[in-house]
Amino acid sequence: MRFSTLIFIGLLGALAAALLLGSSHTYAAQDREHVSDSGSRSYLAGTDELGRDRAVRTAAALLLGLTGACVASALASSLSLLLGSVAALSASWLGRLLLYCGDLFLTLPWIFLLMLVRSALPLTLPPVQSGVVTFLLLAALGAPSFLRLTHERVSRLDKQDWRLHAHAMGLKKSQSGSQLLSHLWPIFWIQFLLYVPACIIAEANLGTLGLGIAEPVPSWGNMVTGLQAAALTSTSHLVYLPVVTLVLVLVALELTIFGAKQ
Amino acid sequence: MNHKLKRAAVAAAVLFCSPCLPALSAEAPARTELAWTLHYDPKTLDPAKVDDQASEQIRFLTAGVLIRLNRSNLSYEPALAESWNVSTDGKLITLRLRPGLRFSDGSPLTSADVVATFRRVLSPATAAPVAEEFLDPGKVIVDAPDTATVRLHLPNRVVGIASVLDEIAIEPANRITSGAVTSGPFYVAEYKHGEYIRLHRNPFYWKRGNAGAALPYADDLRLDFLENTETEELRFLRGEYALLDHVPTEGFSTLARRMPGVTHDLGPSLNTEQMWFNQSDRAPLPAYEKVWFRDTTFRQAVSLALHRADIARIAYDGHATPANGFISPANTTWYNKALRPVAEDAQSALALLAAKGYRKQGNQLLDPAGHPVKFSILTNSGNRSRERMASIIQQDLAVIGMQVNVVTLDFPALIERLMHTQAYEAAILGLSNVQPDPSAMMNVWLSSSPNHQWNPEEKSPATPWEAEIDKQMRAQALASDTKVRKAAVDRVQSIVSEQLPFIYLVYPNTLCAVSPQLDGVQLSVLQPDVVSSIETMHWKGGRH
Repeated sequence: MRFSTLIFIGLLGALAAALLLGSSHTYAAQDREHVSDSGSRSYLAGTDELGRDRAVRTAAALLLGLTGACVASALASSLSLLLGSVAALSASWLGRLLLYCGDLFLTLPWIFLLMLVRSALPLTLPPVQSGVVTFLLLAALGAPSFLRLTHERVSRLDKQDWRLHAHAMGLKKSQSGSQLLSHLWPIFWIQFLLYVPACIIAEANLGTLGLGIAEPVPSWGNMVTGLQAAALTSTSHLVYLPVVTLVLVLVALELTIFGAKQ
Repeated sequence: MNHKLKRAAVAAAVLFCSPCLPALSAEAPARTELAWTLHYDPKTLDPAKVDDQASEQIRFLTAGVLIRLNRSNLSYEPALAESWNVSTDGKLITLRLRPGLRFSDGSPLTSADVVATFRRVLSPATAAPVAEEFLDPGKVIVDAPDTATVRLHLPNRVVGIASVLDEIAIEPANRITSGAVTSGPFYVAEYKHGEYIRLHRNPFYWKRGNAGAALPYADDLRLDFLENTETEELRFLRGEYALLDHVPTEGFSTLARRMPGVTHDLGPSLNTEQMWFNQSDRAPLPAYEKVWFRDTTFRQAVSLALHRADIARIAYDGHATPANGFISPANTTWYNKALRPVAEDAQSALALLAAKGYRKQGNQLLDPAGHPVKFSILTNSGNRSRERMASIIQQDLAVIGMQVNVVTLDFPALIERLMHTQAYEAAILGLSNVQPDPSAMMNVWLSSSPNHQWNPEEKSPATPWEAEIDKQMRAQALASDTKVRKAAVDRVQSIVSEQLPFIYLVYPNTLCAVSPQLDGVQLSVLQPDVVSSIETMHWKGGRH
């Protein structure tokens, strides 16, 4: 396990939180006299095309993206674990039905599903709540991805000798859940780690399509979209800060996953 | 001996003709393809139903019209009609067609085709936006005493009738070809949805250039549907596109740096960018929201809170002018100089609202019934200037306690809500004014019109001021005296300035870029901007 990378991500998050709490500028405040400025004492990483503090917005996007992705991934992994266990331990017809439903869900074009749901949301839904809905959707979409893996693992565990021995000793099926859980923890952790960067990238992609978190709340998606114009017109390299931060987080997560696999 | 004579004859022929060759090559450049982009697929290729910018451009390129507005000198010139006469009372227009006119498929164009076209345009079943400009389209009679003469019998004088005729594409009688058979410079040769539309030159086009060379000079036009303006600019820089007819402001400075002399800022266009609230009865909104949006004081407060100078400077990088009405100062004939610029004043906005019973609780404005004033503003995604405008407006309205959600939608989804379902609260969009004459704006200002965007297709004017606008717009359309017309249009501008059905934000400047290899280009602020000289445009040196 690469704890060093997790610590690095933690430090990034702490730095972002400190920046948000310590800065005199909010992520939405527009200083219209300092539009597209380079770094200065007032604005460490300069300002964007609306005069908003780039460092504060990047910090907010990091915290929002990372938190949302972790929550979505945790929910997706938990749901996958639950459904996979039910499929493995229940009657065979129910198990097959759950697996087939999971496979069917995987074949759906998720981007259109997201567009459909987003277009059905009320227009007055505040940006943060629309972000919550986005991440919940990503959680629902992620669960079927690991369903068969979880099902396979639980099925194998259920046939282990120690399980048979425990049942023979009088352990009820309902009591064996907590025992199974301790064996399933590694799978949960791998699924969680694998899905966090996927959620981050999915949210960023949705932002570039206009389906992500709405203004003025910063997200990697809408900041990367803003880079399309800013990269052409800006003379400061600080304009790439959101992308750099995104890449750092994704690389750290990938290294963590790599360490966890080993 | 015979062989030598032949050689001598050929040499003599060459010598005799050679002085003409350079002249010919100068007068009739080699045919070639010109390419540029449209930002989205045209909603229709039926010229009678054109209602969006992309379709409008296709119509301009393919339409044969009776009278054409010269976008450079603003004069009306004969086109398919070689002459026309307007009776003293303005109710009879007699047009004489040029001899030998043909459609692009070679079939003759006669008065019967003109009559059929007008009847179709004026028919309620067609719902042609241009029909509104006839005031009472159902009472217009069109007939043809012979194959070369067309008569329009109007129930009332339509001032600016020439500008109306500039928008009506003459099509084959009783054949809807959607641009495949035209009487204009080009016809639709290929249309791949979502990719491009290719137009081919009309070999039977009536117009001639210098020294009798047939127009247009270009063989083909290819209009790619490309929403991404950065890709568009890159392709222009690579020489794939001949021109950029609407350069977005964020790309303009970069383009000017990379290719000096290629970009042109022509000053304020005739277009406007505005915000409006949904006042339609059909809107699926809570009743209290409809009360806000229909309250003039509410709209005036919103207008006062907006920083238009910041919008022009930040959202348009200085390439726009703060707006105070629906007629741009570029339209020197009709602009009301008496209108004062709107000065931003958040305190006055709050005072206006307080007088109506609104109050602020912390950072949130509450209406007299205690509802928090929250609404969404829709605009189209991908238009960075509009997205920035929306963000600036969001911040400006937050100062007076209004919570605004900015929602960006792709253009078709946006139009669906604005024009059909009415499922929106406020919107920011632009209006393209193709013609300078206010009669061309009848389809926006008449309360019965489908383009009366804040409350379309009213059975009767919903408010006294809308009734007054109807009256003044009809009056200016009927008046023959220019001063009377100007007074009526000034009155409409004053009403709009007070009642604010549209809250005008800026007049964007006309920004374009033209390849230095292109010749025969005449720049204009009138739509379709640089493309208006398409007939004479060609690559220098005969590039293929």
